[in-house]
Amino acid sequence: MSVSRKIRFSLNGRPVVADIMTHETVVEVLTQRFDLRGARESCGQGLCGCCTVYVNGLAVSGCLHLAALMDGAEVTTIEGLEQGERLDPVQEAFISAGAFQCGFCTPGFIMMVKKLLEKHPDPTDGRVPVGGVAGR
Amino acid sequence: MSFTSSRNIGRSIARLEGREKVTGRIEYVHHLRLPGMLYGKIFRSTSPHARIVSIDTSAAAAVEGVFRVVTIDDIRTVIPHPYYGPAFHDQPVLADGKVRFAGEPIAVVLASDPHVAAQAAALIVVEYDELPAVLDEIDAMTSAVCVHDELKPAATFPDLQHLKGRRGTNIALDYKLRRGDVEEGFRNSDHIFEHTFKNQPVMHTPMEPFVSVADVADGRVTLHTASQGPSFVRIEIARLLGLPENRVRVKVPYLGGGFGGKLYIKLEALVTALSLLVKRPVKISLTMEEQFFMVTRHPCTFKIKSGVTRDGKIIARKCEIIWNGGAYADIGPRVTQKAGFTSAGPYDIENVWIDSYAVYTNRPPAGALRGFGAPQTAWAYECHTDMIADGLGIDKIEFRRRNLLRDGRPQASGTVMKNAALEQAMDQVLARMNWSAPLNRSEGSIRRGRGVAVGFKGITSPTTSVAILNLYGDGSCGLYIGTVDMGQGSDTVMAQIAAEVLNLDAENIRVVHPDTDVTPYDMGTLGSRSTFHMGTAVRLAAEDAKRKIEALAEELGVPPGANLPLSELLRRKYGMQAGNIIGTASFIPAYKKPDTETGQSDNATPFWGVGASGAEVEIDIETGRITVTKLVNVADIGAALNPKLAQIQISGAAIMQLGFTMTENMEFQDGHLTNGSLADYKIPNLLDMPRVFINEWVDSRQETGPFGAKGAGESATIALSAAIGNAVADAIGVHLPDLPLSAESVFNALQRQASASEVEA
Amino acid sequence: MNAFELVEPRTIEDAFGFLRDADAGIRPMGGGTALMLMMKAQLFTPARLVSLRLIDELKGIRLDEAAGVCRIGAMTTFSELENSKIIADRFPIVTRAMADLANVRVRNVATVGGNIAHGDPHLDLPPIWTALDVEVVLRSAAGRRVAPIQDIFAGYYATTISDGELISEIRVPLRPNRRATYVKVTTRAIHDWPALGISIAVTVQDGRFKDARLVLSAAVDRPTRLFAAEAALEGGNDIEAAITAAALAAAIDVEMESDARGSVDFKKQLLRVHLTRALRNLVRE
Repeated sequence: MSVSRKIRFSLNGRPVVADIMTHETVVEVLTQRFDLRGARESCGQGLCGCCTVYVNGLAVSGCLHLAALMDGAEVTTIEGLEQGERLDPVQEAFISAGAFQCGFCTPGFIMMVKKLLEKHPDPTDGRVPVGGVAGR
Repeated sequence: MSFTSSRNIGRSIARLEGREKVTGRIEYVHHLRLPGMLYGKIFRSTSPHARIVSIDTSAAAAVEGVFRVVTIDDIRTVIPHPYYGPAFHDQPVLADGKVRFAGEPIAVVLASDPHVAAQAAALIVVEYDELPAVLDEIDAMTSAVCVHDELKPAATFPDLQHLKGRRGTNIALDYKLRRGDVEEGFRNSDHIFEHTFKNQPVMHTPMEPFVSVADVADGRVTLHTASQGPSFVRIEIARLLGLPENRVRVKVPYLGGGFGGKLYIKLEALVTALSLLVKRPVKISLTMEEQFFMVTRHPCTFKIKSGVTRDGKIIARKCEIIWNGGAYADIGPRVTQKAGFTSAGPYDIENVWIDSYAVYTNRPPAGALRGFGAPQTAWAYECHTDMIADGLGIDKIEFRRRNLLRDGRPQASGTVMKNAALEQAMDQVLARMNWSAPLNRSEGSIRRGRGVAVGFKGITSPTTSVAILNLYGDGSCGLYIGTVDMGQGSDTVMAQIAAEVLNLDAENIRVVHPDTDVTPYDMGTLGSRSTFHMGTAVRLAAEDAKRKIEALAEELGVPPGANLPLSELLRRKYGMQAGNIIGTASFIPAYKKPDTETGQSDNATPFWGVGASGAEVEIDIETGRITVTKLVNVADIGAALNPKLAQIQISGAAIMQLGFTMTENMEFQDGHLTNGSLADYKIPNLLDMPRVFINEWVDSRQETGPFGAKGAGESATIALSAAIGNAVADAIGVHLPDLPLSAESVFNALQRQASASEVEA
Repeated sequence: MNAFELVEPRTIEDAFGFLRDADAGIRPMGGGTALMLMMKAQLFTPARLVSLRLIDELKGIRLDEAAGVCRIGAMTTFSELENSKIIADRFPIVTRAMADLANVRVRNVATVGGNIAHGDPHLDLPPIWTALDVEVVLRSAAGRRVAPIQDIFAGYYATTISDGELISEIRVPLRPNRRATYVKVTTRAIHDWPALGISIAVTVQDGRFKDARLVLSAAVDRPTRLFAAEAALEGGNDIEAAITAAALAAAIDVEMESDARGSVDFKKQLLRVHLTRALRNLVRE
C-alpha cells in the first residue's frame, strides 16, 4: 500500500487531479498544487477558521483535513465564491461594512458567515452563533 | 472637526485593497515560494538557562531529504559577529554556547519539504549544563544570576553608551526622571498612598505568524519579510554582513497583522545567514505556537506612591517600574524610557520622581507591543487614582478634574501639553456611559459597577519618514513609501493625503509597497507615528510635486491659471506620453533629548497619544465571573482623515487590550511556557465582546499634524484595563492589583473581604 | 508529519484486517481532528491510519423502541447529531450542548465514536452520555461486547478499548420524563476548555428527585459519577433541601485537579454553585 495517491475532485466547480502524499493537508495541497492562497494555516488547531473550505458543502478546517479525503468530493474555496467579475454578496457586505483590517482571517470569516446564512437566512442580533473564527 | 469641502480628507473611502482581501488574493510573505527554496525548521532550547555542552545533529542530518543542519558555528563562517538588536547587540542568530530562555533557537534543519525538516529537527539532541534561572523581574534586579555576562549597547542608541562593558547585572537600562523635590512634596502632603500593580506577559499573536524569506546571490541580499520596519532591517542586515545598504533589498507586501511584534530583527538575520551558507533561497515560517518564543509584551511591577493634600491635589508622585525584558533586550530599553516618562500619568504634579528599569530574565524576549508600555503604566496609575479618591472620600471624576494636565501646563518631563484632549475625552466617555444616571447595583447574586480611566503616551522621537510621489506620463500617480500596511489602512490614508494636495481621487493613486530598492527611508510603522510623520512627508512630497508641475508649466510658457492637465504638459515637453514629475520630501519633527539625570526636556514628544475609557461590569459574586456589559473608548486622534478606518482602529485596539485585561496570560512553570497555543492562550472572539461597545474620537485638531491629524493605532489600549479594573472595584469594593482579571481572583478577593469584615451584611 | 499508509475499508471486517498488526503506529480514524492535532504536535507518528468513514454500518441514528434505546452509529458526526430530529425530540440535552461544542467545522467531521475513544476528560459528550446511562457496543475480529460507558474511560487519553476493537455504536436508553442538562463552566474566555462540566439526568416525581445521575467532568481525569451527591439528592425531604445537600456532598465527594482554569478550592465553589443552579432550573422546567 502506498503513501501517495492520485486524487480526483471538483475544485470550485472544475474537475481536477492531483498527486498527493497521504500526510498532506487540504491547505497544503490547495496552496502548493493549485496556488490558491485564500485558505491559510494560522492557529494550526482548527480554532481560528483561517483555513476554512467547504468539502461536499460542509465547512471544515483545511489545516486539519487530510487532502486524501477530498477524493471524489466537491471542494469550494473563497476563490470559488466570485462569479466572474461579481463578488458574492457576503464579500460585498464585508467591503461595504469595512469588516476587516489585515485580511488574513477574512476569507475564513466570509466562508463561515456564508454557511451561517444558509442555516439562518434572517439572523437577528444576539442569538446567532458564529464560533470558531478568530481575528486579531 | 469636519472637512465638508474636501475631496478626500475626512471621507470614509473604502480600503484600496479591499477586493483582494475578501477574495483571498492579497499577497503575504506567508505564501511566498521561490524556485529552489529551502524551508528551515528551528530546533529550540528546552532549558531556560544553560550552557550548551554538545549538539548532536547526526540523526537529523541523516534523514532522507534533509539538505543541511546548521548551528552557530556554521553561521560564524559567513557572519563573523552574529549578534543583533536595536538597543543591544545581545541576540545571537543561533544560540552561542549558551541558551537564555526555553524556546531559544539552537539549530535549523533545511530541506525542500517542510515536513522532512520538521521531522528531522525533532531528532536533534542537545546536552545542557543547567544553570540557575532568574525569571521574575524583582529578583532580576538584585540576583546573582546574570543572563548576560557583559552588556553590549548598539551604536544606534546613544542613551545606552554609559552601560557599555558593564558586568554582573541584569539591569539593561535605568531611566530616570526627576522633577522638583519629591521627598519635600511627601512631607507637605496630608495623605500618602502607595500601591503596587503587576502586568502579565502576553503576546501579539498576529494571524499571519512570523515569516521571512532570504535570497542571497551574487553578493546581494533580497529579503521578503513580514516586517513593519523594512528600512531598519536593511540597515541591520547590511551591518551584519558588512555590505553597503544598496546591496540589501527588503520587500514587504501586506502583513497579516503586526502590532509591534514584526519589528527590528526577528527571523531576517537567521534566514539571511542560512541563504548565505547554502546559496539558495531560505524560508522560515513560524507556527502559531512558535510565535510565543519570538517576542512578547513586557510584564512589569509598578510601585506608585503619591502625596496628596486633603482637598485632593496631587503634589508628589514617586514611580518605580521594573520591566521584565526577557532574555534579549530587543527594543525594551526604549519601552522603558518612553513609557517611563509618562508613567506618572496625565496629571499636573509639581514633584515627580521616576525610576524605570529594563531587566533581563530567562524568559522569551519582550519587545514592542501596541501601546509600548503605556497600557501597563496606565493600569497602575489609573487604579491608583481611583483608590486615592476613595481614600479621600472625593468623587473620582472630580479628583481627576482637579489634577488632569491641561494644554499649556508642563508634563513631568517639562514638555508643555498641547493638543492633548484629556478632559474632553473623559467627558465624552462620561456622556456615553450615562454617568449621571443611577446604576442598579445589586440583583440577586449580581453586583454591578462602573469605572473610568484616562491615559496618555509620548511618541518615540526623533524619527524620520521620507516619501516619493511619482506622476507618470498620463498624469496618474504612484506613491512610494516605506509605511507598511498591516491592516491599519495606511495605504488608503496616505493616498488620501497625496490626493488631497494634488486634487486627485485617492482611489486612483497606486501605493507602491515597501521595497528598499525603490521606496525611501522610513523609521518604521510603529508607535502611532505613521499618520503624523509619514503623513507629513507625503503631504510635503505632494506639495513638492505640485511646485514642480507649476514650474514645468512656467517653463513651457503656459499662462498662469490655464490649468492644463499634467499629461498635456509632459506631452509638450517630451513630444509624447513620457517622463515623470517626482516630488519628494522628508520629515523629522523637532525634538530635545531629555537630560540623562533628570529626564527633563521642553520637547520630548512631537504629539501626545490620548485615550479614555469607561466600563460597566456585572460580577456574579458566587462564581466571581466578570461580564463587561458596556465598554466605551474615546481617543484623541486629532482630525479623522478616514472616519471608518479610524473607528475600526480604535475598536481593534480595544479588543486586543480587552484580551490583555481579561483572558490572556502566558503561563510559565519553572521558566517553561505551558500554554503557547490558541487552545490555551485565549484571545477575544465574537462571544467575548461587550454587549454595548462604543469606539469614538473627540472633535479636536493636532495643529502640527497633516490636515490636523495624529496617530490612532494605540490610543484605545491605554486606559481600557484600568476602566474595567475600576468598574470591578466599584462593583465589589475591592481593587484587584494584578492583570489579568479573573473570576478566581475576584472570588478570592471577595472571600478575603468577607473574612476581614467585622460587619454583618 | 511523516508519510503513512491511509486505508479506507468499506466493511468493518476489512477494518479489523488492517488493524490486526498490533502496532502502536496503526490507528483507526473517525473524523480525524484529534488525531491530526496529535500528529502535528509530533505526539503520534502513524505508520497506518485506518479511516472508518466509508463503513456504512457504522452510521445512522435509529430508534429501536423494542429494545428501548436509540442507536447511534460510531461514525455519526456531531453535525448529524446536532441536526437530528430524533435527538432533538428525545435527548434535547445533546442538541443544546452541540451549540457550544468546539465549532461547526469540528462538528462537521468529529464522530461520536472517535470522541469517546479519544479519552480526553475535557470533552462535552462523554459525561453527557454517562448521565444518560449509555452503553457502548464494541466489536472486534473475535466478536462483540457491550460495556457501560463509564467503564470505557480509564484516565487521561486512556480507555479500556483494546487494540483491534472498534466502537460500532452507542445505545442511549429511551426514558420518558427524564430531565437532563449539561453545564459547561468556563472561567476564562466564554469559549474555552471547561474548568468543569456538570451533567445531570434525573426524574422529578411527587416533589422529589429520583434515579439521579450527577456526572462531573473536566476537573477530573474521566467523567465521574458523584454518588454521594446523587444519594443526597434522592434522600432529601424537600427539593430545596435535597439540592443544598447534593451540592455540599458534591464538593467533597471527589478529588479535583487544579489547572490554569482554576484551583481546586475555586472549582469546589463553582461545582457547588453551578450544580445548585442547574438543579433549580431543572425543577422549574
